[in-house]
Amino acid sequence: MNAERHIIGERGNHFLNRVEGDTGANISACYQCERCTNACPVSIFMDIKPHQVIRYVQMGRRDELLKSSTIWVCLSCETCTTYCPNEVGVAEVINHLRNLAAKSSVEPAERPLAVFHRTFLEELQRFGRVNEFWMINSFNLKPGILKEKWKSGVLKEEMLLGIRLFKKGRLHLLPSKSKGIKRIRKIMKQNEGILDR
Amino acid sequence: MKISFYPGCSLEGMANDYARSIVSVFSDMEIDLVEIKDWSCCGATAAHSLSEYLSVVFPARNLSLAEEMGLDIVSPCANCFKRLKYSQHMIKKGLYDIPWKVQGDNTVYEITRFLSQPEMLARVQKRVLRPLKGLRVVSYYGCQMVRPPKITGFFDYENPQSLDKLAAAAGAEVIDWSYKTTCCGAGIGMGRKDIQRHLTGRILEKAKQSGAEAVVVSCPLCQTNLDTAQSEKDERPLPVFYITELIRLAFTEHAGSGWFRSHFADPSMLLDEKGIL
Ligand code: SF4
Ligand code: SF4
Repeated sequence: MNAERHIIGERGNHFLNRVEGDTGANISACYQCERCTNACPVSIFMDIKPHQVIRYVQMGRRDELLKSSTIWVCLSCETCTTYCPNEVGVAEVINHLRNLAAKSSVEPAERPLAVFHRTFLEELQRFGRVNEFWMINSFNLKPGILKEKWKSGVLKEEMLLGIRLFKKGRLHLLPSKSKGIKRIRKIMKQNEGILDR
Repeated sequence: MKISFYPGCSLEGMANDYARSIVSVFSDMEIDLVEIKDWSCCGATAAHSLSEYLSVVFPARNLSLAEEMGLDIVSPCANCFKRLKYSQHMIKKGLYDIPWKVQGDNTVYEITRFLSQPEMLARVQKRVLRPLKGLRVVSYYGCQMVRPPKITGFFDYENPQSLDKLAAAAGAEVIDWSYKTTCCGAGIGMGRKDIQRHLTGRILEKAKQSGAEAVVVSCPLCQTNLDTAQSEKDERPLPVFYITELIRLAFTEHAGSGWFRSHFADPSMLLDEKGIL
């Protein structure tokens, strides 16, 4: 039995109001029917299930949410949002929490996934377009990534895959560029805090 | 008829064969497909995961370029399509400063939605030289293309039909199944191979159970994911075709050598069996 009890409203409505305001999601309308969680293809891999995420926001439990693996595991497949009877916008809320976590100092529960998103944007501002081959190489060079892949055996698998892809002509080795990079870099600079962690 | 084309990053890399089949099919259908000059990446999953603002501005640059051309847009990638639509939706709301001149008024078509409009479908049917008789396929839409319907405009999200109609127009036999829009996990493999395997494995298994001999898709991420997950030693590989590859096949007497060179799950045996290679 979980002895700890949380009373709705004990932390006030600030967090709820803020997230509702930022996302436009009707979080207050959730009546915990769990349809979102039942429809979610990866809820079994989540520590806080989609319907619980909504409840946690209602209760102002921000820290637990930002530390959760859920916000990184979520595929943004929008099944939850589509099937919610109250139009709560579950996927939008989870994505917003992911945005908040990315900007916070919280160590992401799924570090490789967070690093991967950052690497992608770095590549985007480097060339204006993202070249898969360059992106994977940059990702592998991030601290700890290769080691983790080596340990789990994924590295060998990926190298074999890479060779096959190359042989099949699916790897484009030269990155192509867009002249948009100048402007894109400026925008990224104005939004510092997204990449510099 | 003239329309602008936003290929997106995958079509220059993993899905370069998709790009070739699209160009060929559109040219056969006498549609003038004009690539958006100097397009840039839409930001895909990464941008919206880290910053909603970036996910609105990055696609906006391409919307702006297309507006300058005065043309609607065709997007062959489910993820790009959704990002473009979402960006338009947010531009209309006027919540963000957009550094590009853009109204957000152009129509953005997901490629199968474009090609399955009645007039286009009729064009496809008219051009078919060799129907893909006896080829049993399931159509797989993936998660990005159809949901949420308010953004994508796919109001038949429960059981979408655009791919089904096109595959049928090419003469294939389209089997009904329940996994048309369940996520294949393409985006999560970089950090969680276990989740990717779980999702991909299920789609492939259910497709085989349905009696299909091949899967037909229109998303470069789904194709890459479902195709490259199959091992060389697989006894009964399940080829994963882009819809335009099938249409192109139906438009010609003989497939060009190397058309399916980049496929992991080699379709040549299957096509040979059906007498359509
Ligand atoms: S489906 Fe909607 S109402 Fe039901 S638990 Fe999920 S968010 Fe709440
Ligand atoms: S968007 Fe995320 S939470 Fe919602 S169903 Fe998909 S994976 Fe689950």
